[in-house]
Amino acid sequence: MKNSNRSNMCVPLLIPRSYKTSEENKTGSWRFLRPRYLEKTAPCSSVCPVGQDIPRIQMLTVQGSFKEAWELLLSENPFPGTCGRVCFHPCESACNRLEFDEAVAIRMIERFLADTATRYELQPRLNKLAKKGKKVAIIGSGPGGLSAAYFLALLGYSCDVFESSNKPGGMLRWAIPFYRLPLKVLEEEIARIESLGVRIFCNHHVEFEKFKHLRSNYDAIFVSCGYQKGRRLNIPGEESPGVEDGLTFLRELKSDPSSPSLHGSVAVIGGGNTAIDVARSVLRCGAKPVIVYRRRKEDMRAFGEEIKMALDEGVRIEELKSPLKIEKKESGVILTLQKMKVAGIDESGRAAIEPDNTDPEIVSYDRVFVAIGTEPSEPWYVCDSCSGKDIKLYNSVMRFDGQFPVIFGGDLTTEAKTVTNAIASGKEAAMALDVLFRIGKDFVLPEISRCRVGNGLSVSMEIYLNGERKNRVSHVVSYAEINTDYFNLIPRTPQPRLLREERINSFSEIDLKISGSVAMKEAGRCFNCGICNHCDNCYLFCPEIAVKRQDSEEGGLRAINYDYCKGCGLCVVECPRNAMVLEEESA
Amino acid sequence: MKTVMEGSHAVAEAVKLARVQVISAYPITPQTHIVERLSEYCADGSLDAKFLRVESEHSAMAALIGASSTGVRTFTATSSQGLALMHELLHWASGARLPIVMAEVNRAMAPGWNIWTDQTDSLSQRDTGWVQIYCEDGQEALDRTLQAFKLAESVNLPAMVILDAFFLSHTYEPVDIPDQAKVDEFLPPYEPKFLLDPGNPCAFNQLAPPDVYMEMRFSIQTAMESAIGVLEKIQNDFSEIFDRSYGSIEPVECDDADIILVTSGTVTSTCREVIKKLRSDGEKVGLLKISLFRPFPGEAVRKVLSRTRKVAVVDRNCSFGSGGIFAQEIRSALCNVPDHPLVYGYVAGLGGRDITPELLEDIYWQTKNTDFPELDSFWMGIREVKDGIICSGS
Repeated sequence: MKNSNRSNMCVPLLIPRSYKTSEENKTGSWRFLRPRYLEKTAPCSSVCPVGQDIPRIQMLTVQGSFKEAWELLLSENPFPGTCGRVCFHPCESACNRLEFDEAVAIRMIERFLADTATRYELQPRLNKLAKKGKKVAIIGSGPGGLSAAYFLALLGYSCDVFESSNKPGGMLRWAIPFYRLPLKVLEEEIARIESLGVRIFCNHHVEFEKFKHLRSNYDAIFVSCGYQKGRRLNIPGEESPGVEDGLTFLRELKSDPSSPSLHGSVAVIGGGNTAIDVARSVLRCGAKPVIVYRRRKEDMRAFGEEIKMALDEGVRIEELKSPLKIEKKESGVILTLQKMKVAGIDESGRAAIEPDNTDPEIVSYDRVFVAIGTEPSEPWYVCDSCSGKDIKLYNSVMRFDGQFPVIFGGDLTTEAKTVTNAIASGKEAAMALDVLFRIGKDFVLPEISRCRVGNGLSVSMEIYLNGERKNRVSHVVSYAEINTDYFNLIPRTPQPRLLREERINSFSEIDLKISGSVAMKEAGRCFNCGICNHCDNCYLFCPEIAVKRQDSEEGGLRAINYDYCKGCGLCVVECPRNAMVLEEESA
Repeated sequence: MKTVMEGSHAVAEAVKLARVQVISAYPITPQTHIVERLSEYCADGSLDAKFLRVESEHSAMAALIGASSTGVRTFTATSSQGLALMHELLHWASGARLPIVMAEVNRAMAPGWNIWTDQTDSLSQRDTGWVQIYCEDGQEALDRTLQAFKLAESVNLPAMVILDAFFLSHTYEPVDIPDQAKVDEFLPPYEPKFLLDPGNPCAFNQLAPPDVYMEMRFSIQTAMESAIGVLEKIQNDFSEIFDRSYGSIEPVECDDADIILVTSGTVTSTCREVIKKLRSDGEKVGLLKISLFRPFPGEAVRKVLSRTRKVAVVDRNCSFGSGGIFAQEIRSALCNVPDHPLVYGYVAGLGGRDITPELLEDIYWQTKNTDFPELDSFWMGIREVKDGIICSGS
């Protein structure tokens, strides 16, 4: 049987077919949500004192663009080789990857990039601006002073650095032991700063009279002479022979490479990084160090990793013990220690302590080093209170002596007394002075605020110079905003190190080099939070082929063809790293 | 020369002989051996085809829709849940008039998980506009695959070649693999009537409003109907070249039969033996094998069945709430024939349960001894199970 209505009918093959271009249908008119490329701030960058563009550095590293990545480091920090070794890497603690598996080894990659540049004797392309015809004097050649000089030189200022000791580098040279920071690395970084025309005058101690003299020869002064003087215990017997300042010990050790021979049991009083450095150095000189600390191990100011390595190496820590007095005996000293107990937790989360009522303990040591903190060596350096006329910035303070600008930075003003914070203050001071000279005092604070990275204390030179980074918004990308479907669990690359036995017998650098392929693999773990790394998920997923790729050498962002974008939002959802936003279309 | 091989591999040989250009598939038991063998052929270069690995059957069909649109010969294979996952795209393939060929190995639908044979999967897709041909043995699977390409490309409709799980897909039988030259003569390269061509850009399958849509559906219906005649011609060509003949249906001892058993798939072979035995006992029984299910060869079926008194349809499938699906087709084919025979529906062998010669004899005797079919479908061999969950109303 056949259906009746077709016996004499021609039925052609029929399918919908159109020869008109579908481009006539501007599907963009349907849109009520608008996707947009909007780069944001990565949590690592936001907490980095110098505001390094970490996600971009990782991106360039993955691409094998080591020189570009190194130059990017140098655009925010003249000391990548140093920071790649000694920075306390808050970036890694803030890394979104921490919630996924483990933080990216950001510091290890920074060091790799700096070392690679040195190894191949690369010359960075630094954007040096035209001479401004102004001179700045800088007091102190530590990380703060030299950073100020570096950035001021790049901004077109002549800088003279005055250093009281016989060599530049401040704490980098005199306090950080060689096993953490080899001298060669520091000297190369200082040489690069000098190559910009910065003059460093060593053996020039600037006391107050000299300071007044400098005023007449310069247009501004940056004071960053650090906390040079070890704090005192203020207990009886502190002056006894055999009781020495920890910082002085480190300084002597570094100025004379043939390490002194120590023996017996050595007490190191304190809980900061200096105490750890002293204890580990004592160990390397052949003695048995014991750290005596009045609070608990977890309350120590020293970086956790340093404490852990010290313990690994055999440093002992006596916690909850406070020295009451020191007595000299025939061969060594006797320390009277009060046992302490925890009496609550203070605002910072550290234990508040009080003596427990037991009898003091009496212990004898061959030597005692005091490392309980530092303070400025001259009273006029102190800048702990701000008057209304001062301009308080994130890491530095601009003060006016009449109309003459003086900026305080480094340990004198930074909240955390670290190398990286000091660098941040030097950079900020350079920017602040440039604003002052170019457009005036009233613009200093707003301009520095404009350059903030995320919501932290760091400021970016690239943003200041109106680089592409200024288009990023301060929103800090959270883990929840990462599309983790696009990432595999990959364990963090461990830092290769000397064996414990090799470590404790010399001052050789502990952390070993990594290869380019290891660095690329590790950098590949980075989510690149908030920045476009041209993964092209948006391009691949767009149902309307409305994502345009601009294959320029710089890459640049992808672009959306709004004639056809329907606003479905797929691109935004599939962006693994939150480099896009979807917003309501304005009416 | 005959070679002993699995039914699955017979299909794979046919696909290779057909010089298919694009294959896309996702593995699923009991189909996997087909595409596994084909992937080996692609890898060793003996088949010059692109094998697209995909993450689902849905994507496999989508990939073939794209590939076929460019005017190449395409193939896939699936089973059960995999076929169900393709459902949306099965409609698309036929609506787009793409001659995609698929081997469908009948497997029961879950739950309960069951990998054994059952036709409910393919019959659930009967309204998708695909040609459906059910095969009895390995040789038929090979031959029908070759015919399916020719039929699909002639009428511009996709075609399914359907095999019983294990009874056919995994059973080794002697199969004659034809010469490539002869296959090339039978099945020349595909000449598409339309294709995606960058030199002549156009868009396919966009919006079809009410004033044009219905004609497009009518075009599919007429193509389907014409496929019955086209297949007949193809079968004739085939038997001339390969000396093996098939029909859309095959009547056995039907001329003088009072009762005719209707079967499809491998049950037919079992039934052939049962018919021989019953005939030797003096019973006037016949067998009608249905190979072509879509389009349904109603006219041919009527020609065979109109003369008999009773028809017993064996269904290895069920449309819940109605009954065996072949039985429904037979009833609707006969309902306008004056004094048409009584149609007895039997559901048997679901989920791979064996359909034995004894069971088929029981069906015969029950049909003979029952004056009138009281049920739309009688379920054979149902056991009483007492430890199930008791629901009120059941």
